[in-house]
Formats: sequence, C-alpha cells, structure tokens
Amino acid sequence: MATTEAVDVVMPQMGVSVSEGTITKWLKQEGETIEADESLLEISTDKVDTEVPSPASGVVTQILVQEGETVEVGTKLAVIGGEAGAPVPEPEAAPEPATAEAAAEAEAASSAESPAPQPAPAPEPAPTPAPAAQPSNGGQDGKSFVSPVVARIAAEHGVDVSSVPGTGRGGRVTKKDILDFVESGAQAAPAEAPAQAPAPEPAPAPAPEPAPAEVPAAATPKPAAPPPAPEPAMAGAGERLEPMNAMRRGIAEHMRRSLDTAAHVTSAIEVDMSRVVAIREKLKPEFQKQYGVNPTYLIFVARAVVETLKRYPWINGEIRGEQIVTRPYVNLGFAVELTDGKGLIVPVVKNAEGLNLLGMAQAVTGIAERARNKKLTPDEVQGGTFTITNPGGYGTFHGTPIISQPQAAILGTYALVKRPWVVQDSFGKDVIAIRPIMNITLTYDHRLVDGALAGRFLKDLKEALETWDEVSY
Amino acid sequence: MAIAREAEPVGSLSEVREAGLDREDLLTVYRNMLVTRGIEERGHILYKQGKIPGSFYTGRGNEGSSVGVATAMSGEDVGTPLHRDMGVHVTLGVEPWRIFAQYMGRVDGPTRGRDGNVHMADSKLGLIAMVSHLPAMLPVAVGCALAFRIREEKRVAVAWFGEGASARGDAHEGMNFAGVRRLPVVFICDNNQWAYSTPTHLEYACETLADRAQAYGFDGVVVDGTDVLAVYRETKRAIEKAREGGGPTLIESMTLRMEGHAVHDDAFYVPKEMFEEWAKRDPIERFRTWLRDNADLTDEEEEQIGASVKKVLSDAINRADESPLPDPSTLTEGVFATPEDLDTPHHK
Amino acid sequence: MAEMTYLQAISDGLRTEMRRDKRVFVIGEDVGVYGGAFKVTLGFQEEFGAWRVIDAPLSETAIVAGCTGAAIMGMRPVAEMQFADFISCAWDHLVTVAAKQRYRAGTPVPIVVRLPSGGGFSGGPFHSQNPESSFAHIPGLKVVCPATPEDAKGLLITAIEDPNPVLYFEHKHLYRRIKADVPEERYTVPLGKARVHREGDHITVVTWGAMVYTADDAAKQLEADGISVEILDLRTIIPWDKQAVLESAKKTSKVLVLHEDNRTGGFGGEIAATIGEEAFEHLDGPIKRIAAPDSPVPFSPPLEKAFIPQVEDVAAGLRELAEY
Repeated sequence: MATTEAVDVVMPQMGVSVSEGTITKWLKQEGETIEADESLLEISTDKVDTEVPSPASGVVTQILVQEGETVEVGTKLAVIGGEAGAPVPEPEAAPEPATAEAAAEAEAASSAESPAPQPAPAPEPAPTPAPAAQPSNGGQDGKSFVSPVVARIAAEHGVDVSSVPGTGRGGRVTKKDILDFVESGAQAAPAEAPAQAPAPEPAPAPAPEPAPAEVPAAATPKPAAPPPAPEPAMAGAGERLEPMNAMRRGIAEHMRRSLDTAAHVTSAIEVDMSRVVAIREKLKPEFQKQYGVNPTYLIFVARAVVETLKRYPWINGEIRGEQIVTRPYVNLGFAVELTDGKGLIVPVVKNAEGLNLLGMAQAVTGIAERARNKKLTPDEVQGGTFTITNPGGYGTFHGTPIISQPQAAILGTYALVKRPWVVQDSFGKDVIAIRPIMNITLTYDHRLVDGALAGRFLKDLKEALETWDEVSY
Repeated sequence: MAIAREAEPVGSLSEVREAGLDREDLLTVYRNMLVTRGIEERGHILYKQGKIPGSFYTGRGNEGSSVGVATAMSGEDVGTPLHRDMGVHVTLGVEPWRIFAQYMGRVDGPTRGRDGNVHMADSKLGLIAMVSHLPAMLPVAVGCALAFRIREEKRVAVAWFGEGASARGDAHEGMNFAGVRRLPVVFICDNNQWAYSTPTHLEYACETLADRAQAYGFDGVVVDGTDVLAVYRETKRAIEKAREGGGPTLIESMTLRMEGHAVHDDAFYVPKEMFEEWAKRDPIERFRTWLRDNADLTDEEEEQIGASVKKVLSDAINRADESPLPDPSTLTEGVFATPEDLDTPHHK
Repeated sequence: MAEMTYLQAISDGLRTEMRRDKRVFVIGEDVGVYGGAFKVTLGFQEEFGAWRVIDAPLSETAIVAGCTGAAIMGMRPVAEMQFADFISCAWDHLVTVAAKQRYRAGTPVPIVVRLPSGGGFSGGPFHSQNPESSFAHIPGLKVVCPATPEDAKGLLITAIEDPNPVLYFEHKHLYRRIKADVPEERYTVPLGKARVHREGDHITVVTWGAMVYTADDAAKQLEADGISVEILDLRTIIPWDKQAVLESAKKTSKVLVLHEDNRTGGFGGEIAATIGEEAFEHLDGPIKRIAAPDSPVPFSPPLEKAFIPQVEDVAAGLRELAEY
C-alpha cells in the first residue's frame, strides 16, 4: 500500500563507531515506484558495504543525495511518497542571534549618547557611611584578604572590614573577629517600623556652616582620633570611656572628610503639602490593601525629587578630578537610623527614575525591611547618586545635613506641621488657612552647585509637590 | 584426542516421544524457530532503515540450539541466555513486540530503553538479562544453582557462554565452583566457531571445549547445534540429571555463525566454503525436512504456520513502533533498588 | 548491653541475622571450618551448617557473582573477601553486573560483601588498602565504613536488609582494639546518616573508619589549647550525609577532610568539592584534606608510619587551619 504521506529515507548507522556513509548506487530513480523493504540504494561505510531497504511503498518522489556523495549518519537521502517535487522543508534558518545583541547594541548606543561614561554605577571610591566589605584582590597582605563568610557577615551588618582588627594569619579578619565586632557594636535591627519608612534619624552630626562649630554633642569628651590608630585615651575623674565601634569610626571619618571636601551650603523652602495629604488619604487604603505598602510623605517627596532631578543633572552629579560627572539615572539613597542611635546605614534604590509612586513605595519599603533584617546586599549600600534624609521624625523643622561623598547634594525633609498660612480666597484676597507645611532643605556642594541652581531646584520641587500630578507621578 | 561424548542425531518421531515431545510440541518448536529468525531478519531491516539505534546482533544459524535448549527447560528453571539465543526468549514466551520495542529503545522494551539489543530478560520467565562482558553471567547462573542447592529445590540453572568467552576467568571460576559443589547447573557452550574475527584455534587449544568438563569433575558432550532435536534431547538429559542431584554437564553445541559478529561486520574473514557448507545445514530447513519426512508435515500446515508467523511479526513491529521513547527526566531513576523492588518474580 | 570488640560486634550482627532469616548465608574463603581469616565466623558452620557457611574455592568472581545469582533467586548472601584488597578480582562483576542490574533490568541484587580493609600492621601493598573510592564512583553500589562496634553491628544488619549491593568495609585495625557497649538485641543503623563523634565549634573534621580515632586523639590535643574540634563520622560513603556535613561546615566555617585512602581520587575530594560548591559563603579558610600520599601501601614500619596519617599529622593540620 503506497504511502501518501512523505516518508524519509535516512543514512543508517552501520555500527557504533560509524559516523558517515557514501552512496554508491541508487537502485531506483525519482519517479519510480518501490515496495517496502525492497532495496532502494547501496551504501559503503568504514565497516561494511550494504543495501538500504525502503521504509515504505510508494513513488520515489525525491532523491536528495547523489551517488558518490558522503554524508553523515541520519542525513535525509530521499523521500518516498508525498507530493512529487514538494519542496523538502528547509531546515529552519537559525534564529537571528542578532536580537539579543541588537538590543544590547541599541542600549550601548543610547547610553553612549548620554554624558555618563558607563551604564553601571561607578563604584564609589570611598566608603559610604555604611559600606559593604569589598572582596580584595587576594594575597597581597593577610589583612586585605576577606574570606567568603567574613564578606557575607560584613555585608549583612554593614561593617567595613578594614576597620575590624584581625587575629587571623597575616592580620586577616576571621569569622570570630567580625562576629565579635558585630556583637559589641552595630547590633540589631535598625528602625522601628515607622509610618515614615526608613526611620527618622538625625543624619550626620549637627555640624553647622563652616563657621567654627560648637563642640559636637558627642558623648565622648575626647577628640576622635583618626580611625586606624586610636591612641589610648585617659579618663578624668568621674568620666567613663567606651570604645568607638567600627561603624561609628566609619561615620566619623566620612563626616569629617565630607566637610573637608565639599563646600556645604544649605537652602530651605517651605512646601504646602495639602494636595499630597489629600492624595495620600485617598491612596493609602488601596496601597495597603492591594500592595501591602504604606505611601508615606517621604515617598511622595522622593518621587517628586527624582522627577525634578531629571532637569538638574548637576545636583544628581559629582566632581571627579577635574571633571563633572552626570548620569541619566538616579540611584536614590535613604538614610536609615540603626536602633539605639548606634549608627546609620544608607541603602540605595537603584534606577529610581524608572519608578512611579507605587514602585517607589515598594522599593523603599523593601529596602527598609532588608535594612532592618540585615539582609542588604553589598550592592544595595553602594552606588548612590543622591540622598534623602528625614530628620523630621522627631519634630525638627530645619537642619543642615552633611553630603554623602562623592555626591553633590543631600535633601532633608522635616516635620509636617500644621501652620496658619496665607492663601487666596476665591476673590483673590488674602485669607488665613490652616495648611500642613513641610520645610525641605537642599544641602549642596557649592563647588558644583550654585545658590541659584539650588533655588530653582527647590522651587520646582515645591511646585511638583503642591500641584501633584496624579497621572504622571 | 577428544574425551567428550558426541551426541547422536534423533531419528524417528517415536524416539522424540521418548525424549518427551509429541507432534504438537514439534510444530511449536518449528514455529518458534521461524519466529526467532523472523524477528532477527525484520530487525536487520529496521536497523538498516535507521529505526534501530546502536548495533544489531543476530543468532542466525543458532535457532536450533537456542530453541532446542529452551524447549528442554521447565517453568521452574532459570537461565542466562546470550545474544545468539533469541530463540530462548521466544520459546519461553517473550512477546515479539516487546523484543522490537527493546531494539528500538522504547519504553515498553523490557529495559525501558536503558539497555539495547538482546540485553534484556523477563524475570517472570526465569531469565536474567545479560551484560556485554562475557561470560560474566556464567558464575551468576552458578549462583542461582547455589540458591537451589541451599534450599534443596528441584530447580536447574542454565548458563550459556560462547567459545570465545570460554577463554576468560569467569568461565573457569564458575564451572569449577559448580563442579566442586555439584550444583544443579547445565552449561551450554554456543560454539559458532568465530568470536568476531577470531577462529577457534586462536581461542582454545584443546580439541573440544566439552573436554574441559572432565577437568571440572563433570561430563561434557558435543552436539550438532543445527539439529534442534538432538540439542533438545541432550539438554533434557542434562537438566534432569542436575535436577536429581547429579551435578553439572557441559554441552557444546556446534554451529556456524552465519552472519557477521554484528550487522555492521560482513565477516570477510570467514572462508566462503564454510558458509556454503553450513548453509546446507540450516537448522530451520533441516527441521522442516525432518518434519516432512518423519512427522507428515503438510503443505497446509506449513503455509498456515508461515502466514501466522508473518502476521505476528508485522503486528509486533507496528505495536512496538507506537511505544514512546523514554523521557530524559527519568534518566537517574532506579539506580538504587527500594525494598518494594524485591517483589520481583525471581525473589519469591 | 554487652561490651564487645568491633570484631565481635560484626560477628554478633551476622549471627543475629542468620538466626533470624534463613535466606542469609555466608560464603568466602576459609570462612567455614577455619572460622574466617580473622575469625569473624568462628563457630558459625557448627551452628548453621555447611550449606549456609560455605567454604568457597579461591575464586573471588565466582564468590561475588555467585552471590548475585543467589540473591536474584531470593537469598541474602553475605560474601567475605579475605582482604578488601582482593575485591579487585571481582571488580568487574560488581561494577558490570551487580551495580547495573536494577537500573537496566529492574532486578535488585541484595548482596553484602564484607571487606577487611586498612593498614597499620605491616600488611604491605596487598593486605592494607582502603579501596572505597573506586566503588563510590559506580552508580548502583552502596558503600559503608563503620568505625564503632555499635555502628558495625547495626550497619551490617541494615546492609543485609538493603535491596542493593552493599560493600561493607570493616577496618582490620579496629577489630580487637576498639571495645564498647553494644546492644544485644537486633537493631539497625540507617545508611546515609553521619554521626557526630565529637562536638566542637572551631573546626569540623569529616572522616570515617579508623581515622575517626586518630582525629579524636588529635582533637584532644587541640582542646588543651582552647581549640574546639568537631568530628563527623560519615559511617556511610555512598550515600553520604551531605546535609550533616554542610551543616557542620556552616557552623564552624573550617573543614578538614581526613581519610586513610590515597589522596588523589580519594573520596575526600568529592566531599571537599561539594562543600566548596554549596557552602562557599560560609568558609573562613580553605578546605583541607589529609590522606595517605599517592603510593601503594608500603611494608616497612617507618614507611608505613609515614604513609598512614598519624595523630601528629592531623593535629598539625588542625592547628594550621585554626590559625588561618
């Protein structure tokens, strides 16, 4: 019974090690009929010469390999039955490998246009207030090698390994060393779960303008020695000494360096948050029920900041050597206080410019939770381009934060306070209303950012908050 | 000078009856031989059509020996047949479609695609699957006989090996141990005169392998492997002797391997005259002639048997072809046995 | 409870099973009349008869393959190799037939092969080996290495029950040197579960067989210096208790793998590689291995002493790791 469906004839494998065969003779030509099991062609292989029986009865519709040709085992040699002259389906063209590459190229091209040198966030040259341990290019001195477990613990606790004394070989920090430090020092979960995620914190020490500072209100009376080599200090009568832990030493170093590096100037603006309050009231139940996140005022501010920064790249920028660095993305850091005031950590939401309000709420909530549970990855505490700090949780209405190096500015948000406010009534006349007012500061590096620029930024930010665009935000 | 006895050919139907087979049984034997050859011929074609992977081995010319031995086994006996002994599987009742499924590496083959060609066995039928290292199964069969001896059961193990495999230590150790302990095992040496391209005089130096039996303390006999009834009769004697506690026997069954070592080997090294001579002694043709001469085999009976065999085989191939290929995700399953696995027919 | 030597515990386990289950029989060279080269089966032939305690010819293949055939027929054979070293004669059968029969033919092969292994008494190259790793490499075989009398009895009983081929390595050096209380009734010790031989916090030693005691002596030395060493006795090589090893590695963050077998290709490599793959971020130091050097087991005492890891070697290795 002739086959109506096309049946392939393939080069058989005559023996386990045989990989190819040669057609020596076709016993039938195209168009001739053949019975199943009747010999169709003769082949020759390394092991043996033999005949190949037809797998089906029917017409030899196509002969694909000619006498004398050598092909691999499994190659289609002929077709029995089916449509005469039907084109044998070509093996599909290999899917274009270009797609992925093309996408990558497009991406590279677009980022090449932007002034930013590379898409990856530039690794920070100096430790941030709570940096992750950097795995070293091992083997130079025992001190620089960080073992996997030490790296992991350091990242989890935001400890700078280089400031942990090491008792291992060559001065290496051992697991025991870092565990001891974490025990004695920056312990436990940062932040209560506040309505304003991340926890409020008086950001860096209350260092005022470049004018001679009052003595910093530190508990320790003695001046902080440079972190690496603390000199043994003496206690006076009635005084108590306690050691500075790794985090504290890190913060001290960073704050001092930041003030020494940047020309700190702070400008402030008052923002009528009524519209934000109203929108928040509306969205809060939905956000909590559907997404499990609380849209705090900080999150609204963060969203508006990111949107506004798009028009002020220098405020999201950096001075590097003699160059000004700008970038099309915003890696937004949030200062988070650790419990008991033992220190602070600044987790970073990468690519915040791509987040809408809900996305921002989710990102911030997530990062705060990870900071609390010591589950931040090293990547999440590096690479920030702009920072927001929220000292207002304690009710303060103004402050002068210190910039997180090597960024160009830091935004401070303060208590939302109901104030009597002059507004216009429907006739355009001045009346007093009660409005929720928030003071917002921008502390900026005057080497790069001038007062006028800062002022315009704050003005735009204020406008964004006061006229909150529900659709595009 | 050979020591071992040579078996006599079987003469008449009444002699056969004495040996325990009636006419119906003989027709079954004939049919079994045809099915055996048919499976291997069809398989050969399938292999050349690319439907059977790996390599393909046949026992062409050994149908008389394999069917003859298996016919002499009782339902309680066990055996370790080899790759020239497809006739054993057929005679003991393995369904042909499962054999084709095994060849094609399908899920319904006895090894579910995990092993190929004749490396299969149905444990319900008392068979143990062979391996490639020969004669590794010979001492295993001896171990089966050991179990029967310990438990004082009237069961016999049949152990096959080729004349080439006789050169390996496993053969010696197995037969020696069996002889020492007079275990109920019958050794069948399929001597088809060629181990791949190696002729017998390069495999052993004694005149017949059956002679070695004496060295192990038991009897050896040489039989014409193309005479299915002679093979049957000798095997029956040996099995009954073992069953009654008489210890092992070594039966050397002489044939010629009528095809290459495997289908990819054209056996150019075998002298043409050998093929011509042994072709005249084709076991199936020989038995057919004997049946016509001694058992009144009629044309109708022949035709009927032939047609039925043909149908069985094509149905078998179709059915086997429907069996799926194994699922790669099951690859590492079953490396280790679980206690439930001990519920196999062998272990009862 | 009764105090038994490691050897007596093995005998006791075997005897318990043979009394309980008619299918169990012993076969090997000199196991019957002589009671076994090490006297493990002393008195067995008198009790169980010559067809259950079988004096085999000098034929390791026939012995082990015979066990396979008998096991397929429903028996539970226990073969004794006179020395573990001789298993190489039956290696072909084990890896070709026994290991693969279940996988490819659905036929389980419930056999046990007892293997007196290990050195320390000038046995020379052919009476002192620890060949567990070559079998560990073959899928389908199980490998067991008890170190204590209690484990020796329990693991042997479990091995006999197990439907797979089990290679049971009994360390000769422990036969009469180790004594402990062993339950007199029948009990099993599960295959594949490690045992904490000694608890500790600073370093984990993963080991088995006679090396458990060497590690213990070394750990005692380190304890005096305030270093707390945990010793994990694997007990089973295949399947090995990966979970217990990883847990201990995560606890201490420093691991020493110790075995008496040659270093290259020894089973310690498998353990070390697995720890490296699955506990990388928990490591506070490199994974160390201490094993015999890559040579056959030498005969003369000073050579053998340099070959088999000694207490001092292990203590030094532990110290080095502790100080890392």
